[in-house]
Amino acid sequence: MDEKELNIEDQERDEQNPVARDLHTEEFLVNMGPQHPSTHGVCRLLLTMDGEVIVKVEPYIGYLHRALEKICENRIYKQITPFMDRFEYVSSMLADWVYALCVERIGEIEISPRAEHLRVIFGELQRIASHLIYWGVLGMDLGAFTPFLYGLREREMIMDLFEETCGQRLTYNYIRVGGVSHDIKPGFEQKCKKFTKYMREVLEDYETLLNENPIFLSRTKDIGIAPPHLSIAYGVSGPSLRASGVKYDVRKDDPYGYYDKFEFDIPCGENYDTWDRYYARVFEMWESTKIIDQALEGLPEGDPTFKMKPSFKLPEGEAYVRIESARGEMGCYIVSKGEKKPYRLKLRGSSFNNLMIIPEISTGLKIADLVAIFASYDIIMPEVDR
Amino acid sequence: MGFIKQVFSGIYNLVAGLFVTGKHLGRHAITLQYPKERWEMPERSRGVVVLLSNLETGKLNCTACLLCMKACPTGAIIIDREKNPDTKRWEPTKFVIDNTICAFCGLCEESCNFDAIKLTGKYEFSVFDQAELIYDLDRLAELGRDVKYTPRKKPAAKKKAAQQKPPASAKKPDEKKAEKAEDKPGEEKPEARAAEKPANKPENKAEEKAESKPDEKPEEKPAPKQAEKPVENKEKAEAADNKPEEKKSEKPDEPKQENLDLDKEKDKKDSGN
Repeated sequence: MDEKELNIEDQERDEQNPVARDLHTEEFLVNMGPQHPSTHGVCRLLLTMDGEVIVKVEPYIGYLHRALEKICENRIYKQITPFMDRFEYVSSMLADWVYALCVERIGEIEISPRAEHLRVIFGELQRIASHLIYWGVLGMDLGAFTPFLYGLREREMIMDLFEETCGQRLTYNYIRVGGVSHDIKPGFEQKCKKFTKYMREVLEDYETLLNENPIFLSRTKDIGIAPPHLSIAYGVSGPSLRASGVKYDVRKDDPYGYYDKFEFDIPCGENYDTWDRYYARVFEMWESTKIIDQALEGLPEGDPTFKMKPSFKLPEGEAYVRIESARGEMGCYIVSKGEKKPYRLKLRGSSFNNLMIIPEISTGLKIADLVAIFASYDIIMPEVDR
Repeated sequence: MGFIKQVFSGIYNLVAGLFVTGKHLGRHAITLQYPKERWEMPERSRGVVVLLSNLETGKLNCTACLLCMKACPTGAIIIDREKNPDTKRWEPTKFVIDNTICAFCGLCEESCNFDAIKLTGKYEFSVFDQAELIYDLDRLAELGRDVKYTPRKKPAAKKKAAQQKPPASAKKPDEKKAEKAEDKPGEEKPEARAAEKPANKPENKAEEKAESKPDEKPEEKPAPKQAEKPVENKEKAEAADNKPEEKKSEKPDEPKQENLDLDKEKDKKDSGN
């Protein structure tokens, strides 16, 4: 009804006003980024606009390219871990993990059970921290400032746990080849249990704040629908894929570490829209707190550290290892020729694939919707450019 | 109907959201008033890299083995060394850490076998000139003076003791301070500030550190040392046998070596300026 009325109005206006009738319109280009706050880094989106409607989106990447893989090929195995922190700095604990797993698989290095438990604990804490940033930034991109403050406040507690254990707040260098760099401090388990309990309390508050909020709903429901076949075709992974209705999680389908010993659920979307992608992350935070509690309960004794010698040589071989990072499937591929340095090191960042689907699903929407979609895919640029 | 439903759900959610924010409003703040209050950094905190000195003699622990230089993934450490003709041991003549490329990964500390290099909880090292971020031997040693640490490797000290047994000489730290204070150029302003310092509270320390390096040496050194000594004694009470040996062995080297270092670095500074 509304559309027809509008059309009639348009026709009447055109008849009355000959200037409007003969008005020539054409598409124009808008640069979004590379310094735009809602592109979450240095991503440049070149938008072709027809009035307010997006006709075409072209992501231009490479502003954060640091030749990370080449740098790593010129370093001995011990020196690569600090660079992995910079590969994906919002969840760098997981980036450390994928590299360590890859080297361990080629070298067939055994890891103590305590180190495996600690890896799961820190990996899940890191996942919560990353999703808290996601939650806060998505809220802020859609005009709600409170989530940003709350999300970063809770993340601060995780940062404190990390800092007392490994000494840094962002670039941890904690999960090393053969174990972890330090054992946990005496009071860590109690603090961690206290945190997961607290986290469950605030997650209820989080859901009250955003889930049913009418403004949030109108900005996210039925916006940016990515059906399962499209997501698979683009290689989307992680919570975004699960929100598209594909129940796939590397932790379940190709378990690494001790994940097959813990019980947890994975979310599955029904509408495949922005709201589902948002809720998949919130759901994962709930599940992560469960995993942490399980891992803390059965924490074995022993020495989780492993001192790697500078003269460490990896035997000849190659391996591709993937883990479930906070954004999706993160992979590391190493070719070793039996030397101190890797012959080839390739990293797979899930944000790259997740970015490439955005042009497809945001065509025909407004710029404001593009902001919501971009935020909902949780893209960070260092992982795209490497 | 849909519209009315939307209005009511909107009002309900507004009230629910206000209730949540109100609940969180009553909580105590988690932030600090930064320049006045500071966080206590955890023990393992990885901040500015410093060179540690022997807790008793004040001599650098560094043996210029170059392990940290090889371990550094970014190449931020540059060491030149020279064999001391008296002791026949390597000593660093140049030890530069480039904080502009340091990644604070902690690999240098892990590779060190002599408690010589450490990442501390110090984090306020902003400067106006980038060149000031390149720390030389003097600056690194000075930063490490008030750093507490537990010596882990006793065999190293024993070896030293076995090699050399010249007589002891006291008052070295004071001599050093005096030399540094006298020789360094541009001291008029810093001295004036140094006079004001005791009255000031610790808030201003960071600013002054950034602006004036030399003036702090004479005043700040004594305090941390006094604080440290009792701790050391407790720790070392078990291994009391090692103490005299260390003293004997390490003190005689100091004047010569440090004079050399000082002269060289002054030359560098002059040439650089």
